[in-house]
Amino acid sequence: MARYRRSLWLLTARDLKVRYTTSALGYLWSIIDPLLMAAIYFFVFVLVFNRHVPGQEPYIVFLVSGLLPWTWFNGAISDTTRAFTSEGKLIRSTTIPRTIWVGRIVLSKGIEFLLSIPVMVVFVLATGAPVHWEAVLWIPAIILQAALTFGLGLIIAPLVVFFRDLERAVKLILRLLFYASPIIYGLNDLEKMHLTFWGAFNPLAGIIGLYRSAFFPKDLNWFDVGVSVALTALIVAVGILVFRRTIRTVLKEI
Amino acid sequence: MAAPAMASGGMRVEGLGIRFKRNRMSRRNFKDLFAGRNRRSRPGEFWALKDISFTVNPGESIGVVGRNGQGKSTLLKLVAQVMFPDAGEVQVSGGVAPLIEITGGFVDDLSVRDNVYLTAGLHGMTKREIDRAYDEIIEFAGIRDFVDTPYKHLSSGMKVRIAFSVISRLDEPILLVDEVLAVGDKAFREKCFTRIDEMLADGRTLFLVSHSESDLLRFCTRGLYLDKGELVLDAPIGDVIDRYNADYN
Repeated sequence: MARYRRSLWLLTARDLKVRYTTSALGYLWSIIDPLLMAAIYFFVFVLVFNRHVPGQEPYIVFLVSGLLPWTWFNGAISDTTRAFTSEGKLIRSTTIPRTIWVGRIVLSKGIEFLLSIPVMVVFVLATGAPVHWEAVLWIPAIILQAALTFGLGLIIAPLVVFFRDLERAVKLILRLLFYASPIIYGLNDLEKMHLTFWGAFNPLAGIIGLYRSAFFPKDLNWFDVGVSVALTALIVAVGILVFRRTIRTVLKEI
Repeated sequence: MAAPAMASGGMRVEGLGIRFKRNRMSRRNFKDLFAGRNRRSRPGEFWALKDISFTVNPGESIGVVGRNGQGKSTLLKLVAQVMFPDAGEVQVSGGVAPLIEITGGFVDDLSVRDNVYLTAGLHGMTKREIDRAYDEIIEFAGIRDFVDTPYKHLSSGMKVRIAFSVISRLDEPILLVDEVLAVGDKAFREKCFTRIDEMLADGRTLFLVSHSESDLLRFCTRGLYLDKGELVLDAPIGDVIDRYNADYN
């Protein structure tokens, strides 16, 4: 266990170090992406379409509180498609527990997410949005999201080794998932289409709900969170199973 | 049969087998992806190693002999446990220092210093152990002036030197060496040989894959001769080399 933690940390630190020493902008890159997306959606919905939904104001805070976790999820999942293929030589030369190759991606992207939280603070201060006690729910939200991402990674990483097409398919699905998740809108906005109930079966819905409740406590729906916890547990279990069954063949293949 | 406890550095290999796809691009389906261990071979597959059994006592030095593609490196990988067998098992008591793909763990963009800490750490050394061994590692590789240079700017000889230096510092009872000695200049090869001699004198177990008769005779007392995935001969190294030469020269 101590060895697991140490190796995980070594590789995570390595990822971050490589990312920050090889680019001049370093830290900025981890916040530029969500900031740019926030700017685009703010421009389209608020300035062009004049969006004003009661309970979702200020919209910029609503947006950023969904976009930051999404950036973590999106970055980690797209990197897990290359977890084995990009590190072949290293994986073939060490005996550390192989789940670390997925865990290190979730963790290093997670740390970048934590480092981007000041952006959230800046927007909250600038707009004067009230912060509620539900802000403590960020902690279970982070744990839940890490578990979900890890579980999905355990499924995706080995399968990509056998089906290279999956790498592109995942990218496409991620793009679809972005619009299918309550990031630029809230689950309640789906009421007109009677999709609010089904929307909860996207595990990201409950997680984003938890993050958002710090600023929009009325939007928090414990049913969504419950579904999200159950689905995450299921995905982690399936992930461990898939990973165990495939790792022997993966090591031959890389 | 109850297995008696092995002393550190010992090894027992029993009925070991592994199979590979003959054609990397051959069609895969979900069924063979999830296939567990099973002794039946399916069409398009071959056994790279089959039914290999031997026992190694601590402190023995063993040379693995055979032509290219007869499973020597695969055997080493199975012993190093970076690959898992489809049949049989490998029991190793104590850790393994694998000089296989030694430069694999090094990251181009990080400095030599960072790389030393990373690779040694991944092979199980704690930060404090590395701190203590660090000077010696750099000294041995002879690249004192380059510790802050990004790894990618080293010459290929330097890369191998620093990698050998790190792995050979690992305090493990078993040392696996796969052809790495073929690289590097003469002076450094001599240094490597001396280092391996020291480790052998320390009572470590050595597993050496090599095509060089002189290296095999110099380090090994016992030989394993692999041909077509099978263990043909397990005997003193001189006999094994004679048999190999008789078969193929």
